[in-house]
Amino acid sequence: MGRPTGFSSRSVELLLLLLIAGMAGQARAVPSYARQTGQECIACHVSFPELTPYGRYFKLTGYTIGKVAISSEGVNYVPMAVMAQASVTNTRNNNAIDPATGDTVSVNQRNNGFVLCCASLFLAGKVTDYLGGFIQWSYDNLATTADGTLGGHSGADNMDIRAVGKYSAAGAAEPDLIYGFTMHNNPTAQDVWNSTPAFGFPFTTSPLAQTPAAATLIDGGLAQQVVGLGGYAFWQKSLYAEVSFYRTADGAFSFLRAGQDIHTDGGVAALKGYNPYWRFAYSHDWGPNSIMVGTYGMVADRYPSNFDTSTPTDRFRDVAVDAQYQYITDPHTFTAQMTYIDERQSYDASFPETAATGAGIGAGPTPANPTDKLHTFKAKATYYHDRKYGATLGYFSTTGSADSGLYGTDPSGNAMKPDSNGYIFELDYLPIQNVRLMVQYTAYSKFNGASTNYDGNGRNARDNNTAFLNVWVAF
Amino acid sequence: MNRKHVALAVMLFAGVVTSVGAQNSAPEIQKAAEEKAVNLCSTCHGPRGISTSAEFPILAAQRKGYLEAQIDAFRKKTRAEKDAHDFMWGIAGNLDEPIIGGIAAYYAAQPPAQGRSDDPVLVGKGKELFDKGLPDRGVPACMACHGADAAGSADFPRLAGQHAKYVVKQLNYIQSLVRAAPVMHGIVKDLTPNEIQAVAAYVQSK
Repeated sequence: MGRPTGFSSRSVELLLLLLIAGMAGQARAVPSYARQTGQECIACHVSFPELTPYGRYFKLTGYTIGKVAISSEGVNYVPMAVMAQASVTNTRNNNAIDPATGDTVSVNQRNNGFVLCCASLFLAGKVTDYLGGFIQWSYDNLATTADGTLGGHSGADNMDIRAVGKYSAAGAAEPDLIYGFTMHNNPTAQDVWNSTPAFGFPFTTSPLAQTPAAATLIDGGLAQQVVGLGGYAFWQKSLYAEVSFYRTADGAFSFLRAGQDIHTDGGVAALKGYNPYWRFAYSHDWGPNSIMVGTYGMVADRYPSNFDTSTPTDRFRDVAVDAQYQYITDPHTFTAQMTYIDERQSYDASFPETAATGAGIGAGPTPANPTDKLHTFKAKATYYHDRKYGATLGYFSTTGSADSGLYGTDPSGNAMKPDSNGYIFELDYLPIQNVRLMVQYTAYSKFNGASTNYDGNGRNARDNNTAFLNVWVAF
Repeated sequence: MNRKHVALAVMLFAGVVTSVGAQNSAPEIQKAAEEKAVNLCSTCHGPRGISTSAEFPILAAQRKGYLEAQIDAFRKKTRAEKDAHDFMWGIAGNLDEPIIGGIAAYYAAQPPAQGRSDDPVLVGKGKELFDKGLPDRGVPACMACHGADAAGSADFPRLAGQHAKYVVKQLNYIQSLVRAAPVMHGIVKDLTPNEIQAVAAYVQSK
């Protein structure tokens, strides 16, 4: 992770932070919003960060319900919040063979140890009746450094700033149209349903555990590296449409990727121009029920090397469908989400280069195929009693094309696939709304292409099974 | 700071200068109150005050004086059951008296929710209690204050069409003194859970 960006960028960041701190209200999934609205967390969250229908309305209307932090009445509240986690992680088999040296190494460098990680500072909320947002700044004291050890690192986390409006015809009973403009730094961080990647399940995971290598670009591949500029409209609380465009978060937008490793080839993504993203959804609420079915996706042209934007680009086309169901009553709450992402990777730049030279462009990919596919399916179901006691069962699966250049070969010399799948079981207890005690178990049936001996050194998928005991607080 | 930086700063400032002007005349106040009802209250209480989720009370055709008193109680934090605390204190805290009056007037003028019933036996028991009370136990008839058709009267709230789950919850709060309602507490303190379920089912059916 990176060194600081230049002085002028930092100056802009500081200016913006000061502006937000001075003028704005509160942040998204954090208690400063509760102070802004005077409402409790459960008004907007089933459990943080999963949003209720009211929470979605709050986000779509630009975080503008409630008071501004500072008004003619004085200081109404402190427009900041803090979030922190402390945990213990157990990796089922913590010993692996280093392929380079043949030595036995630890997969998890703090196995069974108590760690404080990580923490976030939020500045955000209502600026005016028409403008709001949040800025999350996170500190990771267990970040992997250049020499492979763990060290401290801070940087931009999710951000979303909105300008919004509403339209109602004369005599309307509800807003006919909610519309807005959003600027954010992670595709789907602006979305209000928790079936999309940025705020999808699992809501937090171990900072130390080994995780599968392959993921679609829209599933975190551009997080905190791009700026998204988009417009959206929600018609009669049923039809939602959004179009955004993503570009590299450089220049005036560099505060959105502050802390990212822009000085290392491969440290961040570099996109060509403005890359389109779409999101359409149908939502319907009745009684205590709420349902959504939708689609989202993007087409991104990515430079193989973030150091060289004179080359051709590789194209990633992600098309996804998703759905969500919520049943929210006192005391029973049941929610479920699913998404399926279909990605087509066209290595228009990297494949010819790799075929001709045996190496990619800079630190870019070295595919053996001109095109590959990658599919991700995720689903989870959650029950909460009294918003205090929760249980969640999740399933995840990634499958894709065999490609020896991207995923290596198995002991028989066959090109490997990126396939991984497994289950996540989680129990939660929230003694108060700002504190979550959780135990999460992730069980892999397949990891990086195989169930057994996926690394060629005898390591099996289940060796990465992870138990994660975590305390998550926000105040 | 280059032009792009200035543009960003200006964008952040832009909203500061845009704010809703003060509303002074009665029509302006009423318009602002109705905008609040349409854009905010309806999110939970439904269009025109008819919520479909029983977690949130129906406000349509509710008595104006009662609505004003309850919003004021939320604002002053004198009505303090969990839902009031979690949801309504914050909302009501941002309303002033003229707007509260306008919101109450808006909902009082809306057409009432239709009655809903799925258990005729339970409704029948509730009607008996609502119409006649329990004379042998000194429980007066509900209709004496809430009206023969449960539409309320003066400052006594309308109950007709209200979600049974909400009515049960409130009667439990009043029984256990979580919700301060001294007169009502004296009347309902000895009702059994079955009697509360029955009378709630009856008023929902009206």
